[in-house]
Amino acid sequence: MSAIEALYIFDQHNPILQHTYRSRPLSASILHPLYLAHPAPRPSFIYLPNTQPPTTLYSIVNSQLLFLSPVSTETEPLLILEFLHRVVDVLEDFLGPPLLASKIESNYDVVAQLLGEMCDAGAVSNTEPNALRDVVEVPGWVGRILGTVSLPGASLSSSTSSSLSMQHLSLQPPVTQLPWRRANVRHTSNELYVDLVESLAVTLAPSGRPLSARVNGTIALTAKISGFPDLLLTLSTPSGKSNIEHALELPVFHPCVRLARWRERPGEISFVPPDGRFVLAGYEVDLLPFSIGKGLTSSAPNASSLQLPVNLEVRKSLGPSGADFEVRLFLTNSFTGWSIPTGPSRVGGLGSRLGTSSPAFGGSSNAPILEEVVVTVPIPEGVKNLADLRTSRGEAQYSPGDRFVEWRVPTTGGTLLTTGQGGATLRCSVVGISDNDDEDDGPAFSFDDIGARGEYVVEDAYQSTAIPPSQEKNEHQQRRSDLKRVALNATLMPSSANVSFAVKGWLASGVKVDSLIINARASRGLGEGVKPYKGVKYLTVSKGGVEARC
Amino acid sequence: MESLSKISSLLETARDLTLEAAQSAGSASRSFRRDASKNISVAQLKRLLDSRNDRDILEGLRKVISMMYRSQPCLPFFSSVVKNVASPNIEIKKLVYIYLLHHAEAEPDLALLSINTIQKSLTDQNPQVRAMALKVMSGIRVPVISQIVSLAIKRGCADMSPYVRKAAALAIPKCYRLDPKTLPQLIESLSVLFGDRQYYVVGAAVTAFMEICPERMDLVHSHYRGLIRKLVDMDEWGQLATLKLMTVYARKCFPRRTSRIRKEGSIGFYGDEDEGAEEGREVQLLDPDLELLLKACKPLLQSRNSAVIVAVARCYYYLGTPEYIDIAVGPLISLLRTPQDIQHIALYNIAAVCLTRPETFVKYATHFLIRITDPPYIWRLKLEILAIIFPYCGPHMNGVILSELEHFSRGSDKDLVRESVRAIGRCAQSDPRASTRCLRLLLNQISSSDGNLAAESLTVIRHLIQQNPLSHTKTVVRLAKNLDTATNPQARASIIWLVGEFAGIDGENNVAADVLRILAKGFSDESGAAKLQIVLLAAKVYAHYLNQAQAVPSVSEATAPPPLAVSLGDHGGFSEPGLRDGQFGQKWEESALHRETIPLLWNYVLLLARYDTSYDLRDRARLYKSLLANPKSTQLATLILLAPKPVPHTPSPSEWRKGFTLGSTSLIVAEDGGLSGISGYEPLPDWVREGEEPDRSLRNEHAVRAEYTGKKEVPAGDRLDSAVREGGKGAHEQGSSWNSTNDPAPASKSKSLDDWLAEGVEEADRDGGNDEEEDEEEDEEDDEEDDDDESDETSEEELEESDDADEHDNLVRQ
Repeated sequence: MSAIEALYIFDQHNPILQHTYRSRPLSASILHPLYLAHPAPRPSFIYLPNTQPPTTLYSIVNSQLLFLSPVSTETEPLLILEFLHRVVDVLEDFLGPPLLASKIESNYDVVAQLLGEMCDAGAVSNTEPNALRDVVEVPGWVGRILGTVSLPGASLSSSTSSSLSMQHLSLQPPVTQLPWRRANVRHTSNELYVDLVESLAVTLAPSGRPLSARVNGTIALTAKISGFPDLLLTLSTPSGKSNIEHALELPVFHPCVRLARWRERPGEISFVPPDGRFVLAGYEVDLLPFSIGKGLTSSAPNASSLQLPVNLEVRKSLGPSGADFEVRLFLTNSFTGWSIPTGPSRVGGLGSRLGTSSPAFGGSSNAPILEEVVVTVPIPEGVKNLADLRTSRGEAQYSPGDRFVEWRVPTTGGTLLTTGQGGATLRCSVVGISDNDDEDDGPAFSFDDIGARGEYVVEDAYQSTAIPPSQEKNEHQQRRSDLKRVALNATLMPSSANVSFAVKGWLASGVKVDSLIINARASRGLGEGVKPYKGVKYLTVSKGGVEARC
Repeated sequence: MESLSKISSLLETARDLTLEAAQSAGSASRSFRRDASKNISVAQLKRLLDSRNDRDILEGLRKVISMMYRSQPCLPFFSSVVKNVASPNIEIKKLVYIYLLHHAEAEPDLALLSINTIQKSLTDQNPQVRAMALKVMSGIRVPVISQIVSLAIKRGCADMSPYVRKAAALAIPKCYRLDPKTLPQLIESLSVLFGDRQYYVVGAAVTAFMEICPERMDLVHSHYRGLIRKLVDMDEWGQLATLKLMTVYARKCFPRRTSRIRKEGSIGFYGDEDEGAEEGREVQLLDPDLELLLKACKPLLQSRNSAVIVAVARCYYYLGTPEYIDIAVGPLISLLRTPQDIQHIALYNIAAVCLTRPETFVKYATHFLIRITDPPYIWRLKLEILAIIFPYCGPHMNGVILSELEHFSRGSDKDLVRESVRAIGRCAQSDPRASTRCLRLLLNQISSSDGNLAAESLTVIRHLIQQNPLSHTKTVVRLAKNLDTATNPQARASIIWLVGEFAGIDGENNVAADVLRILAKGFSDESGAAKLQIVLLAAKVYAHYLNQAQAVPSVSEATAPPPLAVSLGDHGGFSEPGLRDGQFGQKWEESALHRETIPLLWNYVLLLARYDTSYDLRDRARLYKSLLANPKSTQLATLILLAPKPVPHTPSPSEWRKGFTLGSTSLIVAEDGGLSGISGYEPLPDWVREGEEPDRSLRNEHAVRAEYTGKKEVPAGDRLDSAVREGGKGAHEQGSSWNSTNDPAPASKSKSLDDWLAEGVEEADRDGGNDEEEDEEEDEEDDEEDDDDESDETSEEELEESDDADEHDNLVRQ
């Protein structure tokens, strides 16, 4: 039966936490070297057949912390991994992001309670941050920072005096009717923030034609609403409401979402949120809706249907010896004139969060901001160095032995990349390890030369029309060495390049939040006439997600 | 679903985070803190723990816990810490409990002293305290107290707070591990919890069940429908346990009714392509109860938890019809958006499903395109899946996949190149239409300067050629030309072997002898592998020669075929500029010459081999020599050397993982874990045979059958209960299928008659209210949704409360 045996947390070098759940698993000091012995990149699932007992080692890495969990019996691997991710999320929720070794070390008591609650002797029991808030004591400053911390027993005493709805909530203290929502939530300022984050995964063929283009979207919500709110979030896509079901593919939802509602009316997410920050839903959108993947084989994907803020082009084997390659980065013209998926007036109370609440966010929603443009070009192993690294803009970094070139392109004013029509370019030539060796001309005796040298020279049509053998051979040799050099350099060429960037205020899929309504009749505990502040934020990121091949 | 921390980090400005991280990374501060905690002396710490001031005690406890996590010795404080167990301060209590859980085993005697206090907490007013006490008591690994723990669990099962009941459920396996002799009592408690109305209590109970007595399916029957109804609302971990239980349960309790018809169905199922087996599928009957399970799983496919999605897929894969498997495919694909670690595991499972239902994955083909950021363990699986679905794709997608593979076969990563080439080979093998194109792709790679790539390509080409030798004679000629350039020993050996295999085709036009002639000249420079093949080639050529000589004892020179230039000339399409065809053939037009030369060559090669340094080579040469020397054994030699070779088939690497259950660790570990999987792995049971399954009426709720009670030792209390149940509810539910019983699961815990009556009223209430929404999943929010029901609902809640209160009284009285 699935069981988590232990959880170890390491910073770069040392174990900073060892929590044993059951039996006697291998200790952290044994496992850590075994983990490090595995060649990088280390998968999160490593089977160690030679330990006693044979152990499966699960690991995840979060902001420089390594989480290890050994398991010695048959389990569901995803259960362990999901649990580790939940541990990270919960710790971050309680200790504040980012999760750092120092934070864990100074809050061992909180961490101990959390780990004890989340997994009881190996069985995962309670991973909802809200439910954990009810049972875990947060002392001192952390508690103050996090604001509302329910006191034990408080819910008991309040049940008699409070309103009908509160009574409903506190019937079964301390665990509420909804496992994901804490009882008796009170906030002085009620706020609701929706964050739509999409990450791009685009592959471009050498011709520039997109092979696949998808976005993976996530809806994160920060709900700080008193009582027991019942919310309705309505999404829409550019292709219209009727089509939303097909546009937002393969959605997954937080358990608080009423799935039946989504099934009946796609695009409407009805839910009672947990208190605080959580991920509401995930989805994906195919940006090439009528293309390859759909089985409509005849219609080749229409390149113009894919609109990206930047475009990438790689050309290789340039120059006389084919040792140069060039990467060009374009700003797509259509990007500036993009239709922006938010309009405060239409949304009705769903004001843009920009400007008022977080000025640091910068810019207005009408002008998406392109930031952090970085082009990465993987360099093959045989390359010794790159000579002549030139860029028309920005800075490219490469030191001999690196496996990639990183080229940061500055964005001026957030929107425009460069004034020139050609975009920005990076060009350089590769220097291979064996470049200096003079290649000898291969085996002295060649199968090709059978005709020339062999005893059976016979006149035939082929020979007679050809140039005299000797001359042909010289040219042949010459051409061959050239070809050889080009061929050699060709193996040193990068095979692709990818670009990372972030665009604030724009979603590649065009999904937008139409409205976020509090269903007043179904909600409880929210005072009369309280209008929560609502905000929505769009962000498209590409973490090396746009990949151009050559 | 992406984890929250990942999304947050995307939203936060990266700069702030790194700044903070950098600050904290200043190791100075940390080492200072570490020192600080060390600096506190044992005496000081003890003084803190012994203090009367709560604040001091807390301070001391925190220090001890920190030491505990840093693996510093903290046993010396045992008595000082445990003394505080009686503290009314809940904060102190929690920390003491944590300490106890970690260290009680080392000091069992001292730990026993605290048991009394903990036992007192079991009756505390605050349910949280009760639950904690139960948890600690079961968690202390002191076997002496097993009976007390089992009693406490029994009481916890009847607690009015679901929180305590959940703790009781979680305590069951702990108690079992403490002392397996308590099993009967524990099972009794468990069957009470199975009927609990709270979703998360049931989830925990199922988890406990799977741990202590997964084979006791008889306990599940009467709760089967109730569990399935609650499935949607359980927490993810409960869902996982329940899905696991149900998959086994279904195999054991629902015979595959259509086993005879299923065979037809399964042809269409595994033999794919043939969609005509439709009728076979239609006949496949699902037990209504099984269908209930499959339908209840459907909403879980939108779970945020990847493990749940895979568990549902497993359920469909082993229990459902192909249609059900197809439903699970999309959600499985959605796991590719998750973090890499989960993706990795998900891909193994996808590959396993893909082997059975490749055509369903076709529309998601682009999801498996490799990204340059993918680590090896991801792209390996993606390549494999691409090759599996290749034959089912349309021509356009085929093109995309092949150019994808071609792209990566030219990369610089050796492993990636190798795997891509192999994938091309698998594509060609599975889809004859594409094999020409694949072959052309591979032939281009042979002349590559990368020996690794060339060797790998050749191996694959060899396999392809062997599958259809007759259509590839010209390819062999072309390969022979590559002997010029190919340097990789393995590649050369492969080519030579192929030439030898084809030595007999096309009679005298064959190039084999000529190739042998040239190879013989460079014999001494060849690698060991190539030498072996050269000798073999020589033997084959000579054997052919002997056969020919026997067959046509008087070959007239006049009838010798015309020069071969014609036949070789027409494969110009394959050859590259600069290579001239026809060269091989030209010399062999004169048969007389031919006849003289081959024995000469054969003797020459034998001579070369005879003085080679390799024993193996010399031995083989000797073997071939004596085989071929005697004309009587020529037939034998022919059999040995020229026997048709079996067609090689390279299966997908996942092919033989197939035996392992979807979603298990063994599926992923596969070969390293041994044939029977890693320890603790149990394959799913086979479908129960028709007629051996338990009676389906056992699953009727409220109808606890005599047979069931008779077989197992059910305590008298329960029997009384069931009698009450039958008396009170029998009429209400008589003979009805589960659909009409929309009420929550029957609470089979010990209740007084009054309770039963009260519940009956309440249930009637509820039935009336919710009838329309019968088939929808029963969210607990259903109630909140329709405001009209609000008054009803509150009264219901009150009822429930009084219900619980009564029950509590009951307990007290007991």
